Amino acid sequence: MPLAVDMRHIRKFFPSSSVLACDDVDFAVEQGEVHALVGENGAGKTTLMNILYGLVAPDAGQIFVHEKLSHIAHPNDAIKLGIGMVHQHFKLVPSFTIAQNILLGIEPNQAGFINNNDEADIVRRLSESFGLPVNPNARVADVSVGMQQRVEILKTLQRNAQILILDEPTAVLTPQEVRELYTVIRKLADDGRTVILITHKLLEVKEAADRVSIMRRGRMVATHSVADVTVREMANLMVGREVILRVDKSPATPGDVVLKADNLLVAGAGGMPAVFGVSLEVRAGEILGIAGVSGNGQTELVEAITGLRPVEGGTISLLGQDITHASVRKRREIGLAHVPEDRMEVGLNLKTNLDENVVVTHYQDDPYSKRGILRLPPIRKLAQQIVDAFQVKSARVGEEIKTLSGGNLQKVVLGRELYGNPRLLVVNQPTRGLDVGSIEFVHRTLIEERDSGAAILLVSVELDEILSLSDRIAVMFRGRIMDVLDAEAANEQDIGVLMAGGSLETEPAAAQKV
Amino acid sequence: MVNRLRQTFKSLSIPVLAVILGLIVSSFFVLMAGTDPAQTYQRMFCEGFGSKGCQTFSDLLVVQVETEDGGVSSVFAPFYGVGGHRMAVVLERATLLILTALSATVAFKAGLFSIGMDGQFVLGAITVAFFGYWLPTQVYMLAGVSDPGAAPQALLSVMHVLIPLVCIGLAMAVGAVYSWIAGYLKVKLNVNELISTIILNAIAVQIVNYLVRYPLRSDFNSTARTQRIDDTAWLIPFNRGLFQDVEWFSGARLGIGIIIAILVAVLIWFFLWRSTAGYEQRMAGGSRRFARFGGIPSERAALRAMLLSGALSGLAGALAILGIERRVIDGYATSGFGFDGVLVAILARESVPGIILVAMFFAGLQQGATNLQFGDLPRQLGGIIIAFIILFSSMENFFRDLITRIQTRLRPRKTPYPNEAGAP
Repeated sequence: MPLAVDMRHIRKFFPSSSVLACDDVDFAVEQGEVHALVGENGAGKTTLMNILYGLVAPDAGQIFVHEKLSHIAHPNDAIKLGIGMVHQHFKLVPSFTIAQNILLGIEPNQAGFINNNDEADIVRRLSESFGLPVNPNARVADVSVGMQQRVEILKTLQRNAQILILDEPTAVLTPQEVRELYTVIRKLADDGRTVILITHKLLEVKEAADRVSIMRRGRMVATHSVADVTVREMANLMVGREVILRVDKSPATPGDVVLKADNLLVAGAGGMPAVFGVSLEVRAGEILGIAGVSGNGQTELVEAITGLRPVEGGTISLLGQDITHASVRKRREIGLAHVPEDRMEVGLNLKTNLDENVVVTHYQDDPYSKRGILRLPPIRKLAQQIVDAFQVKSARVGEEIKTLSGGNLQKVVLGRELYGNPRLLVVNQPTRGLDVGSIEFVHRTLIEERDSGAAILLVSVELDEILSLSDRIAVMFRGRIMDVLDAEAANEQDIGVLMAGGSLETEPAAAQKV
Repeated sequence: MVNRLRQTFKSLSIPVLAVILGLIVSSFFVLMAGTDPAQTYQRMFCEGFGSKGCQTFSDLLVVQVETEDGGVSSVFAPFYGVGGHRMAVVLERATLLILTALSATVAFKAGLFSIGMDGQFVLGAITVAFFGYWLPTQVYMLAGVSDPGAAPQALLSVMHVLIPLVCIGLAMAVGAVYSWIAGYLKVKLNVNELISTIILNAIAVQIVNYLVRYPLRSDFNSTARTQRIDDTAWLIPFNRGLFQDVEWFSGARLGIGIIIAILVAVLIWFFLWRSTAGYEQRMAGGSRRFARFGGIPSERAALRAMLLSGALSGLAGALAILGIERRVIDGYATSGFGFDGVLVAILARESVPGIILVAMFFAGLQQGATNLQFGDLPRQLGGIIIAFIILFSSMENFFRDLITRIQTRLRPRKTPYPNEAGAP
């Protein structure tokens, strides 16, 4: 097969952060294949693709597209060469229709006047020819994330892309949408198009790609045919050492009830009830996992327990104290720690330095402040302790944290929250967007924390994570807990039924009239 | 260490580049006005920052002075005070700009884009204009003194300390309360503070206009004005008191206010960066959801920030009257010190040391630009030049990219790249 893309000796150094993102990287993709580009966060894979798409200028190296030496200085050059990119964060106009988004900038017009029906027709023909059904007249704001991604793909196809770059395409999709995406990718490859898949999920590589290239710290370490390499081998190449994919844990020894929620009623965005009468208990030394498809009230439940969202009805108690309406500070004083879903906006303040981020939960206590005056030496010491204990690579005391990778940011959050031995740890999507090495670290830390006697409430949409970490599993659907299973006895099928609103009783339809 | 020096150099080079580019672009308009840009700018900077007789850029640094024996010697220009130095006037104006800029910064750091400095400033000014006159007269009445000139020296000394203090306290309280209104509306009713402070500014200007024209009007001059404050309320400028023999100060009403302003700047820096209250408000300002998550009482921090911000603008208004103007004249309400303070805060990128430097630079530019009109140049030209300099100063990121690009171009590709240094 001829090469669709051949990048040779690519080098890119970012002086502002002193990072050599690409160090003499060679990357070749054959025409008509699905080629996965994997690596930990910060390995340089997105930089490499941004260079190919003309978003970043390389310091050195050559790029051959369809075996012709090409100079790509701007995305427009890339588009002319038939390269299309679907970014991790979609670049769509939410208030426009799907057709308007796909034809943005290349609208068919008559002397400047746009005909909406023409637009819809063009998009309908396009979507039919590729077998990617969309409703051209729906507004992007109203359609699902999976559909938005499809719009992005159609956008590149409309611009006649022969080479598609998909950056972390499954990060935001439900399992079913992921499967549909694989079908689409395969179909595009069968049509002779080339697909480059940036990802760090190795199972995905196995399922969707033909070949895989692995990057580590700015270098290309290997390129293999997917059939010839196991997930474990890929993980080891990616991280550079042996990785334990399975979580080792001993049976739990639950103690007293730490968190007790009774008949909880919580409003979601826009005042609609999001949590209806949830009751649950978490004991010291156990992990209660909450499984469920994203958007079934898990976020609201977590926010109600951690004090970020008012409770409309029911009670919450922590170590026997009623905290239903207590302030965040009060809850934290009793022994709550919280690793939030959104570490960039909620868990951390990226505008300030490491020290001020780690002290947020303790700044009022001795020795970090006295009579309203911050005392910097103890704060620096705390930051250093967290950096050391959690091996937060490239974090320095007193320096900005916005350049840290997702895994390192999560380590900062975990380090801060676990400092002072909390009695209850609420974690929401603790490994979202993290690479294999960091996931391993987070999982190990949670188990250690459980074994030292903390009660842990784990919320995750990753079913594997719930199954491997939890001692008991509660399944949420439309704001209710459908059932609580013992993790030993639980299996993926049962949880899947509950997640979809079914029941494990003889009549599966009974629970569906919620 | 070298790294830190390089950083400092980099952050200093941005404003310098901005000024140079601003001057180059406004040359076009200077040429349109029919004059030579080089000459105009030399005049402007001499009028802004120079000593007496300053003619060229080099005179800003070194002036040639005739010695007694008829020879000529070189003197470091900023220290050459014969006939009064322009920098004294710059400092007089900068006193007020530093305080209003600090006021803006305190609010900005709490994530509140309050631009209510103008309103708080004029209310502070009118407060001291009234109490600076009324309080001493009450004291004289109680003490049974009919002619203040004949009052016992002991009484006057005590009054000279207490009256300004009380006046300043009252002005700060008035500014704080006025600012708190916007803060309360924001916290309780989620009223946008930008809009509410603009409206409150307009209301304050009208209140002051009314007070100056009617109840507090002192005489029937063609321009309404309040009574001049009593001498015991007056913060006597250096050229009339402490340094009356130092000619450097002779042309300006610069006084103890500048020392107060710089002390306050140090205190505000300490408050913002070293106190738990400052920490709370910066975290709440930087990321609201992070502050809530960490258990920081954000609403209280926001209200506290607004109170402090208002008090600082009130203080600026008080010093303007007690130290400089001694009365409020009709039209003073629109003098714009509050809004210029907002500009200074933005240009200094909310850094406290930066505010002191930018306030002085800004005051000097304004003075130089205003004085251009005494030549054959239109007054508006100065405004155009200042506007271009501000415009380019706000293009921070543009310059940063430019500098980085030049640096990478100049620097030869050295080998040891920090290869294992981790990734972004």
